Amino acid sequence: MKEGRGAHIPFAATLLERRDLSEDTALFRILPEASALEPLSAFIPGQFVQLSVPGGGEVPISPADLPSADGTLELCVRRVGHVTELLHQAKAGAPLGIRGPFGTGFPLKEMEGRPVLLLAGGLGIAPLRSLLMHLLRNQARFGEITLMYGARQPKLMLFREELAALAAKGGLRLYLTVDFAPEEPAGTYSCAVGLLPDLLKGYRFDAENSYAAVCGPPPLYRCLTADLERAGVGASRILLSLERRMRCGIGRCCHCAVGQKLCCVDGPVFRASDLKPIPEAL
Amino acid sequence: MERIFLYNRQLNAFLETLRLFGELHAPALNDSGVMAFSPLAESSDLRLDYSRTQIPPKKYLIPFREEILHYTGGTYRQGHPHPPVIVLFGVHPCDLDGIAYLDLVFMGEAPDPAYAERRAKLILVGVSCEPDDFCFCSGSRPSSSCDLFLTACGDGFLLSASSAKGEAIASAASDLLVEPPSTITSPATGACGVTAQDPQLRFSGNPLWERFADTCVSCGACSVCCPTCYCFDVREYPALSGGGTRLREWDNCLFVTHGEVAGGNFREGRLDRLRYRFLHKYCGFTPLQGMTSCVGCGRCKAVCPVDIDLRELFGEGEEPYRGAP
Repeated sequence: MKEGRGAHIPFAATLLERRDLSEDTALFRILPEASALEPLSAFIPGQFVQLSVPGGGEVPISPADLPSADGTLELCVRRVGHVTELLHQAKAGAPLGIRGPFGTGFPLKEMEGRPVLLLAGGLGIAPLRSLLMHLLRNQARFGEITLMYGARQPKLMLFREELAALAAKGGLRLYLTVDFAPEEPAGTYSCAVGLLPDLLKGYRFDAENSYAAVCGPPPLYRCLTADLERAGVGASRILLSLERRMRCGIGRCCHCAVGQKLCCVDGPVFRASDLKPIPEAL
Repeated sequence: MERIFLYNRQLNAFLETLRLFGELHAPALNDSGVMAFSPLAESSDLRLDYSRTQIPPKKYLIPFREEILHYTGGTYRQGHPHPPVIVLFGVHPCDLDGIAYLDLVFMGEAPDPAYAERRAKLILVGVSCEPDDFCFCSGSRPSSSCDLFLTACGDGFLLSASSAKGEAIASAASDLLVEPPSTITSPATGACGVTAQDPQLRFSGNPLWERFADTCVSCGACSVCCPTCYCFDVREYPALSGGGTRLREWDNCLFVTHGEVAGGNFREGRLDRLRYRFLHKYCGFTPLQGMTSCVGCGRCKAVCPVDIDLRELFGEGEEPYRGAP
C-alpha cells in the first residue's frame, strides 16, 4: 500500500450486506470509501486487509475474492473474538474501517502454466477462495485447477453450493471431505468422509510441476506439507498461508513474528521451504 | 586548540544553558528512590554518577500507552502528541545506541508519525560512563548517536557535537568552554561486548535453556527495561459519546498472550518464549536480520528476579555451546 496518509490510518467503509454461511461464519460485503479503491485494487490473492469495527478494534482478514469492479470487497469472517463478534452484530449500513492490502500474496506469475492444487481446511477456504476465483477467471493461463476442501461436518462447509456450481461448469476438480457425516438430503454435492490427507493420498497428479496452496488449522500444515513433499511437490512450490495476530500490519508491532520473519510483511503466504528452519512456524 | 573542555565547576552553568534549548531532563532519584530520567527541577538533583536508570529513555519516544488514532464522525484520525522540546542530559552510550536502533525501526522508509514527532523534539546530550558488574560492555565509548557528547576526563568533560543542534548548544555555552588542559589524556575506549549470535544457538541442546526456562517466571521485567524492546499491542475503546480511541501500549514477548491466535498459541511454553526473545534480541529481525539489538546496558540482568544471564549461554569469551560433545 502507498504511504502518504499513513498506512496505519483506516479508510472509511460501509457494510453493505451479510450472508450467513454457517452458524458462526458469514460473508460480509463492504464498500470502502472512494479514496481507498485505488490502494485496494492492488490486492493480490493471499494478501490481507485490516478491518476496523469502530470502537471495537481491528482484525486482519484475507479477502475471499478480488475487489469487484465497483470496489466492493467480500470478507468471510468467523465470530471468534471481540471485534468479529461486533462485526457479526453490525447491521447493513454500519460504518467500518479498512486499510491495506498488506503482506505478500501468492506468486501468481510464477504459477502460470502450472497445475494448481488448493488444499483448504475449515475456514482456510476463505483466503484460498480469492486465489481460486483468480485462477478460474484466468483459466487459460494456468494448468489444471483442483480444490480439496475439508470441514468438520457438512453444515460447516462454506460456499458448498457455489463450489459445486463452479465444478459443474468444468475447469475445477472439486473434492470435498468431512470428518463426520450425518444423514444428508439427496441432491447435495457429495463429500467423502475422512481427513484431507486421506483425500490427498489417493490422488494422482502431476506433482513434479504442480503448485500447492494450503490454508487451514496448524496441524493440517504439518501433515499436508509432508504428504505433498512425499508425493513429489517441491517444498518451494508448497505455499502456506499462515495465521498470526497482526496488530499493526506494517511490520512494527512484532505481534505476528514467525521466527525472524514477520507474517505481515514476509507473509502471510510463505513457501514451505522457507518455514522449515523455524520450529514454531507451523 | 579548540575550546571544547568543560570544567566540572562549570557544569551547573552548562545545565542552565541547556535549559535554553528545551525542558531539561536528566538522571535523578525519584520519590520512590528509583533512578529515573526525569525533569530536573534543581541542578543539584542531577546524579551523573548513576549506573543505569530503571526504565531506559525509550519512554520519551514510545510512551507506555498512547493514543494513535481517534474515531469521530465516521473517520479515523491521527492523534498528535504535541510533545514539548526535551533536552535529555546524561544519557550513556548504550542508551544512545538503543535510541539509534529504535530510529531504524520507527524512522525507516515510512516513519511512524507519533515517534517522528517526539524524536524531532528530543535533544540528546550523552555522557560517558564507567561499566559496572551488570554491564555487557568492556568500557565506556564516545558516541555520535546524539547531538552532543561529553566524555569525562580529568577535572571535566571533552565536548563533541554530532549535529547542528549540538553545535548550537556548544556555541551557546562557549563562554564556559576552554581549551583542554595539556595534562589530560584521551580516555581508553571500550566496546559493547554483545555481538550478533548464531540463530542456531537457539536450537542447540544446551541444558542452560531448560534451566533458564525452569526458573523464569515470565514477569517480563527484562523486556520492559530493555532500551530496544518496542513490541506493542493495539487496543481500541469506545467513547460514551460515540466514536472511540485506538491506543498502542508496550507489550511483552514473555507473556503467554503474545503468541496467541484465534485457535491456539505458537509460543505457549516458557522455553519457547525465552528462545524467541533471544532470537529477536541477539540475531535480529526482519528487516534488521543479523543485527543484535542488545546494547549492553545490563538492565535485564540487574532486574531479573531469578538471575537469568543470557551471557552464560553465549559463553562469554569462550566458544559458544555447539551441542553435547
